[in-house]
Amino acid sequence: MWKEVGQREMGRLASHSFVNRIKSNRISSLELSNYKEILSAHKGAINSLQVDLTDGRYLLAGASDGSAAVYDVQCPARYEGNGLVAKHEKIFVIDKQHEQGHKYAISSAIWYPIDTGLFITGSYDHFVNVWDTNTTQVVVNFKMPGKVYRTAMSSVAKSHMLIATGTEDVQVRLCDIASGAFTHTLSGHRDGVMTVEWSNSNEWVLVTGGCDGAIRFWDIRRAGCYLVLDQLQTQLGRRPPVLLQSSLKGSTSKSIPDQSSFLKARTPQKKSAYGNGTKHTSIHNRTKSSMGQRQHPGMLSSHDRATAHYGAVIGLKVSEDGMYLLSAGSDSRLRLWDIGSGCNTLVNYEATRLQMSKGIQLAVTQDSSLVFVPCMTTVKAFDIWSGRTSMTFRGHYEKVNCCWFSSQDQELYTGSNDRQILVWSPSHPVHAVEDERGGEVLMSNSDQDNWSD
Amino acid sequence: MEEREREGKGKVSSLIEKATNSTSHEIDPRLLKAIKSVARYSDSEIQLAFDTLMQKMEKEHSQVRYLALLIIDELFMRSKLFRSLFVVNFDQFLILSVGFKKDLPLPAPLDIATHLRSKAIEYLEKWNSSFGIHYRQIRLGFEYLKNTLNFRFPNIQQNAARREQERREREMRSKEILLNKFETLRENLSSIKGEIQRTIDEIGECLDLLHPKEEEFISFDTTEEFECRSVALQKIRLEALKEGDKLHETSENKVLFDVLRELYKLVVNKHLASLQDWISLLVRVEPADCRFRDSTLKEFIDLRNYLRSLKNRCEQSGCTLTNTPNDEDEDIWEEVKIEEADSGAISAQNVPNKDHASTNTAIEKLNNTSGRTTKFSGSKNFDGKGECSDSTSVKRSLLAEAPVMTWGASLDDWGAKRDRLANQRGLELEGHWGRVDYDAVIPAEKIAELNVQASLYKEDHVEIRPCCAPVKSGGLCQRRDIRVCPFHGPIIPRDVEGNPIDQAPLADDITPDDLVKKLAKQAVKNVRERDRDEASRKSLKRAERAKAREHNELVLREAALASTSYSENVGASNQNGPDNQENKQTLSSMLRKKITPKDRIAKRLLNRRASNATRQLIIGEDTKYREAYPNQW
Repeated sequence: MWKEVGQREMGRLASHSFVNRIKSNRISSLELSNYKEILSAHKGAINSLQVDLTDGRYLLAGASDGSAAVYDVQCPARYEGNGLVAKHEKIFVIDKQHEQGHKYAISSAIWYPIDTGLFITGSYDHFVNVWDTNTTQVVVNFKMPGKVYRTAMSSVAKSHMLIATGTEDVQVRLCDIASGAFTHTLSGHRDGVMTVEWSNSNEWVLVTGGCDGAIRFWDIRRAGCYLVLDQLQTQLGRRPPVLLQSSLKGSTSKSIPDQSSFLKARTPQKKSAYGNGTKHTSIHNRTKSSMGQRQHPGMLSSHDRATAHYGAVIGLKVSEDGMYLLSAGSDSRLRLWDIGSGCNTLVNYEATRLQMSKGIQLAVTQDSSLVFVPCMTTVKAFDIWSGRTSMTFRGHYEKVNCCWFSSQDQELYTGSNDRQILVWSPSHPVHAVEDERGGEVLMSNSDQDNWSD
Repeated sequence: MEEREREGKGKVSSLIEKATNSTSHEIDPRLLKAIKSVARYSDSEIQLAFDTLMQKMEKEHSQVRYLALLIIDELFMRSKLFRSLFVVNFDQFLILSVGFKKDLPLPAPLDIATHLRSKAIEYLEKWNSSFGIHYRQIRLGFEYLKNTLNFRFPNIQQNAARREQERREREMRSKEILLNKFETLRENLSSIKGEIQRTIDEIGECLDLLHPKEEEFISFDTTEEFECRSVALQKIRLEALKEGDKLHETSENKVLFDVLRELYKLVVNKHLASLQDWISLLVRVEPADCRFRDSTLKEFIDLRNYLRSLKNRCEQSGCTLTNTPNDEDEDIWEEVKIEEADSGAISAQNVPNKDHASTNTAIEKLNNTSGRTTKFSGSKNFDGKGECSDSTSVKRSLLAEAPVMTWGASLDDWGAKRDRLANQRGLELEGHWGRVDYDAVIPAEKIAELNVQASLYKEDHVEIRPCCAPVKSGGLCQRRDIRVCPFHGPIIPRDVEGNPIDQAPLADDITPDDLVKKLAKQAVKNVRERDRDEASRKSLKRAERAKAREHNELVLREAALASTSYSENVGASNQNGPDNQENKQTLSSMLRKKITPKDRIAKRLLNRRASNATRQLIIGEDTKYREAYPNQW
C-alpha cells in the first residue's frame, strides 16, 4: 500500500488507478469481519439488503417475518470486548406491530435512489409500500395482483420515478410514486416474474427475468418487449470494439434502439396493456419499412419463446457500466450476457448450487471484475470474465438469499435464512493501520499461543 | 532441517492417526503429549495436524470423530495458528461434530455419536467464552446453535457464577439474621442477665437453707481412714457414702425441694440452652464494634460455667432432683437398672464378707436406699403392671394355641352369624327398573359360603443345583436342570473348580467287580492328578517367565519414550501385537451390530427351512380343509 502511495506522491500513478489498485487490493482480502457486527433485528430470513446510494451509510434489510430495518453501517452503536467489536444496531424497524407494516414476508426492500428520505418495500401480502424514512409512515402503497417478488427503481433515471415490480402475476407493473398509479403493465412473460432490474445506462430500459426462464428487455417508452435473451445465441467473450464492429456491420443487430427509431416507432397506441397482439404488427411493419432489416423480436414467436435458463431466472444484475448482464437461474447456472448484442457470452462459471425456491440478489463490484453470488450456505465471488471462483465466504449456517457490495467501503453484506446479516470486510481495516494499535495490543493479550506443556 | 521437517511431517499425522484409531473414550495421554510437543515447535506441523484432523472429522465413524474432537480441543486451546485455520471452516466442523443438518447426521455408533455431540457443544461453549471475542465464526456458530436451533448448552460458567451468587446471598441473609439477633441481644442483655441472676440467687438461697451445715468433708475424711483391699469395694463404699450425704426429702423440706426442682428445671431447660444459643450467636456474628461482643461473650461464658457448677451442686445436694423431673416410664427402666446394679453389688460384696465392721454401716445405708427404691418400684408395679401381666399371660396362652391364618376378606367378620342387608353400602336404587326390595337380606350361611377361607397350594421350594461343570471361558456352568444338563451330561456333585467328586456308591450295591473297577479308576485318577500337577507347575513357571518378559518390555518401552518421542512408533507397533491376538474391540467392530438373543432366535426361526416347513404345514391344512368342505371358500 505504501508503495502505491509513494508512486502516487511522485505522480507516477494516476489518481483513479491508484484508487482502483487500493480498492482491488482490499477487495481481494475480504473476509468475515470480526470487528464489525450487525445485530439483526429480524426474526426471519433476510431476503433483501441494500445500502443507500447517496450516503453509503444506511443498510436497509427486508426479512421474511415482515420486518424491514435500517442499520447504520458507519457508526456503531456500541463496542464490545474493550472496543474490539463494534456492534451496529438498527436505527428503526418496521414489523407486524407497526399499523402499516406488512402482513407477510418482505421480499424486497430498496432505497429511493435519489435520497434516503424514502424507501420501498414489496411483500408477499401483495402490497408495495413506499415509506417515509423519517416518520416511518407509508406514503403511498400499491396493491398488486399477487405476491411481490422484487421491486426496482432506476438509479440513473432523471425523468421518471417508477417502481418496477415483479410479482406472481405474469405482468410487470410500473408504479409511479408521484401519481400513485400504475403507469405501465408489461405483458410478455408466461409465468411469474422473479426479478426485475433497470439498466444502468439507459433510464428507459428495464430487464425482467421470469419463472418461465426468459429474460426480457423492455423499453418503457414503447409497447412490448424488444429483446428476449436466448441462451443458444452465443458469442465468445467480449464483442470487438465499436470501430471494428462497424466494419462487420449487419452481422449482429444493434439491440438498444437509438432515439430516432424510437421516435418513429412511437404510436398513439403505446399505452395499450395488451400490446403484444395485432397492434404491434403494424409497428413492426412500419419499423421494417423504415429500417429495412430491422426486426422486432417480440413479434416472432420463435424469438419470443427463447429462454435464458432452463428453469426460473432467479437473479439479475446489470454491470455498473450497463453493458453486461449477469443472470442466475434455478438450473444453478450463472450466465453473462452482452446487452449490446443480446448474446450469451459463454463464460463458464464454476459449478455451484444455487437455491431454487427464492430469488437471490447478486452483487457486482464497481469495476465489474467480481460477482458475488449466494450459493446455498456460502457466498462465492466469481471472476466475471473467466468464471473462476476467486473467493468463498463461509459463515452462514443456512441458505444465503442476498448480498450487497458497498463499493465505498469495499464491504460485502450478506443476509441469510439464519437471520444473520454478516459483514465481510478487508482483513486489514483502515482504522487499524491508522490507530495507535490500541485494539491490536488488547487482542494480542488474550489471543496468543498458550502451550502449557 | 528439511529432512527433519519431512520426518516430522509424517510424524504428527501418524500420531493423530494412531490416537484416533482406538476404541477408548479418551486419548492415550502419551500420544496426546507427543502430538502437542510435535505441534508446538512448528507451524507446518500445525497446518498438517489441522488437515489431518479435518480428514478425521469427515470419517464416517463417530468414534474417530470423537477422538479427533478431543485433539482439536487440545490444539485449539493452545495454538493461535490452529485457531485461525480452524475457524475458516467452522460451520463444516459443526456439521460434522454436532450433526445439526438433517441430511448429514452423525455416523454409526449411536451412543458415541450422542457423546460426540454433547462434547462438541460443551467445547463450543468453552471456546466461545474464551476466544469468541476474537473469532466471529465461533460466535456465529454458538449463536446459531443456541438461538436458532435452540440447543441446550451446559452453561458451565454461568451455572458456576449463579451458584456462587446464590451462596453469597445465602451468607448475606444469614449474616443479616445474625446481626438482627445480635441487636435484640444488645437491647435485652440486662433483662436476660437479670433473669438468670435471679434464678441463681434463688437456687443459692434454697441450697443454703438445705445445707445448714457442711458434713461432706468430714465423711470423706472418715472414709479415708479405712483401708480398702478391693477397688470394687472402695467404689461401692464411696458411692454409698455420697448417697448418704445427699439430703433426703422429708415432709418438712418438701417445699424447698419443690422450689429447687423447679429452679433446676429452669436452669437446665431454659437458661443453659439460651445461653448456649447466645454464645454461638456471638461467636458467629461479625458486628461493627467487637468490644461489646467480646465483653458479652466473656460474661456469658462465665455465667454458663457458673450455672453448670450450680447445676452440679444441685445434683449433688439430692438425687431426687435428677430423678424426679424425668418421665414416669423412664423411671421404671431406671429403677430396674438400679436394682440390678444393687444386686450385683451385693453379691460382689457378699464374697469378701469377713471384712471390716465399719463397712457394715455403708452396706446398711446402701440396703436402705435400695430398699427404698425397690419399694418405690413395687408400688409402681402395683398400680400398672400387675393387671397388665395378668391379662398378658392369658393372651399368651391363647395365642399359643391359635391357628395362623393368612389375611383376607374372610377375617372381616370372623365368627359372625348375622344376616346382612344386601344393600348395606347405600346403593341408589330409585332409578332402577323392575322390582326393588330395599330390605333384601343375605342369609348368614350364604355369607359364610362366600367368605370361605381360600387356601392356595404352595409348592415346596426345591433348590435345583447348578450344573457347575467347568466352562471354556472360565467359570462354571450355571444351568439349573433337574437331572441332566444338555451340555455337560448328568448332574453330579462337583467341587469348587468343577471337577466331579466321586460319590461313594451306596453300600448295598458294592460288588467285588465294582470294587475292582473303582480301584482301577482310582489308580488312573491318581496318576492323572500327578501329571496334572506337573503340568500346572510347568505352566505356572511359564506364566511367571512371560510376566517378567512383559514387565521388561514395558520398562524398556517407557524408557525409550522418555528419551525420544520418535520411538513412539516402535512402542505402539509392539503394543499392537498382543492387541491383535486377543479378541479386542476395534473401530469396525464398534460399527457392527451387537448380536442379541433375539437375533439368534430370529436366525433360527426365520431361515428358509423353518419358514418352508411352516408354509408346508399351512398349505397341507388348507388343502385338507378344502377337500373336507369343497363348497366353502
